[in-house]
Amino acid sequence: MEGSESPVAASGASADAGPVSIRLEDVHVTYRVYEQRHLRLDDILEEGIKPRRYRSIHAVRGVTLDIHAGEAVGVVGSNGAGKSTLLRAISGLLPISDGAVYARSQPAFLGVGAALKPKLSGRQNIYIGGLVLGLSNKEIEERFDDIVRFAGLRRFIDLPMKAYSSGMRARLHFAIATAVTPEILLIDEALAVGDRKFRRRSARRVEEIRAGAGTVLLVSHGLDEIIRSCTRAVWLEQGRLVMDGTPEEIVEAYTKAEDASDDENDEAGAADVSDDGDAAGASGDASAGGVGAVEDREAARRRAKRARREQRRAAREQGV
Amino acid sequence: MADGGVIAAITAGDGDPREQGLVRLGTNQPLVDYLRSVWDRREYVLSVPVSEFRSQNLDTVLGSAWHVLNPLMQVGVYFFVFAIILKTDRGLDNFLTFLAVGVFTYHFTQRSAIKGARSIVSNESLIRSIGFPRVILPVSTVLSEGLAYLPAVVVMFMVALATGVRPSPFWALLLIVMVIQVVFNFGIAFITARLTTIFRDFENVLPFALRVVFYMSGILYEVENKIDSPRLRQVFNFNPVYAVTSLARHAVFGQPAPTILWFTAFFWAMVLFVAGFFFFKAGEKSYGRI
Repeated sequence: MEGSESPVAASGASADAGPVSIRLEDVHVTYRVYEQRHLRLDDILEEGIKPRRYRSIHAVRGVTLDIHAGEAVGVVGSNGAGKSTLLRAISGLLPISDGAVYARSQPAFLGVGAALKPKLSGRQNIYIGGLVLGLSNKEIEERFDDIVRFAGLRRFIDLPMKAYSSGMRARLHFAIATAVTPEILLIDEALAVGDRKFRRRSARRVEEIRAGAGTVLLVSHGLDEIIRSCTRAVWLEQGRLVMDGTPEEIVEAYTKAEDASDDENDEAGAADVSDDGDAAGASGDASAGGVGAVEDREAARRRAKRARREQRRAAREQGV
Repeated sequence: MADGGVIAAITAGDGDPREQGLVRLGTNQPLVDYLRSVWDRREYVLSVPVSEFRSQNLDTVLGSAWHVLNPLMQVGVYFFVFAIILKTDRGLDNFLTFLAVGVFTYHFTQRSAIKGARSIVSNESLIRSIGFPRVILPVSTVLSEGLAYLPAVVVMFMVALATGVRPSPFWALLLIVMVIQVVFNFGIAFITARLTTIFRDFENVLPFALRVVFYMSGILYEVENKIDSPRLRQVFNFNPVYAVTSLARHAVFGQPAPTILWFTAFFWAMVLFVAGFFFFKAGEKSYGRI
């Protein structure tokens, strides 16, 4: 599969795809986040001591979707749209509050970084990461050279990982995580930090998995990333699916909506999501998952308001 | 609809998903499958303590020497306070060894409880990234503490030899005591791990509860000498922490231990291990939640 240059087939969504490998049935995810309110003496005097208040975040609101073997599906949407949460729900790592997730096999989430130890060398971390993903020492030994070559870290493999640049670290994570060649791979903003060469290489690896009847789900703000690596895309906004189609269609509609809303209210959403340029920054808190979205609640509210408007417009334009 | 991508088109296909070879995710695994997946990760479980041990003192000048120096200094402090200042050692001819064995043995359980309590909450990002049986986390935490306990055991025997204790075949019994203690600590860690996910405040209460256990288990004093009431002495015999430390002391001093202590230690270890495991597993699916 090395030679195949254009991973994006002309096929639309699920037209000539294989059997269903992931099925989402009306999936909802709600979680509680406690408010960070400082307890003040006069509050206590007035209201007494009460348990901390929490906010329920309804991050995914009824997503129904079939994904087939051999598809690489990109997920786009503004910050706080529920993309990462949806991905974690599919992986079975975040409990869903309603609906059901079915899959052909346990999806592998590209998040091996959390298991690695920054103080230890890249070499030791390849073993740690491989073991936590379920490989045996012997299997890791066999794949060791491939992992190092793919990550391009031959000269640095015995340095402690904390000395690596963020791009080097991302390369190592990706190389370890895909050494297992999972049937279903979920990627959350992992590829954008790498340099051009690495991005090309990782796109090829995604294509390899896809071509071997695997399934890849990719959350990214890098829109050309999605066009380059995916055969299908969905647009998520406010926890709901807005649109499903070829990557080109989705990216075009999504960009149009973003641009339109930017012109509309410059003062409100000034420093907001752009596509490629912002991706590196956004991936920094990718591991924090849903929490990152909560921190800038104010910005998220503004964005959400805008997203609702976009959604209505998109629906109107398409005559629904 | 020409562009084939509007909301109305987004529907899942018909038919029973199970008939298409799909498995529902997020349901509870049967016990056998769960245990098998723990077994499949055994190499990871064993690798965690080793890498933890390696990474601990990488930045210090003395490096891994601290694994021995640290317990040695602890015994020094306790000896200074309790034998030299407070003189609680009356009636004991080898207080230093008595103290070393008691303090180190207790510390292993204490650290297992505290680190075990953090094993789920501190690994949140790992839990939300990789699917594996979560019981691996408290297990490898206790094994890490067990590995850190080994240098202390070496120090224990060094102190014993230096204070005139003769090597004896009873020393081999310490190995059995340690196995019982590891099983006991697994149970404790399972319970504290889940309790911390239910009430985060538990983590702050735990050190005080452990302090109480520390003073009630005869770590710093000899129960036979300091407790007058025979009935109260009987109560000590059913305290698993007292039983374990006392068994370790008997082994090091080369004396046969009363059967009741073996019974108490073994009984509590089994009960806490089994009950703790099921208590921990019952919360398995909630550990990914924020």
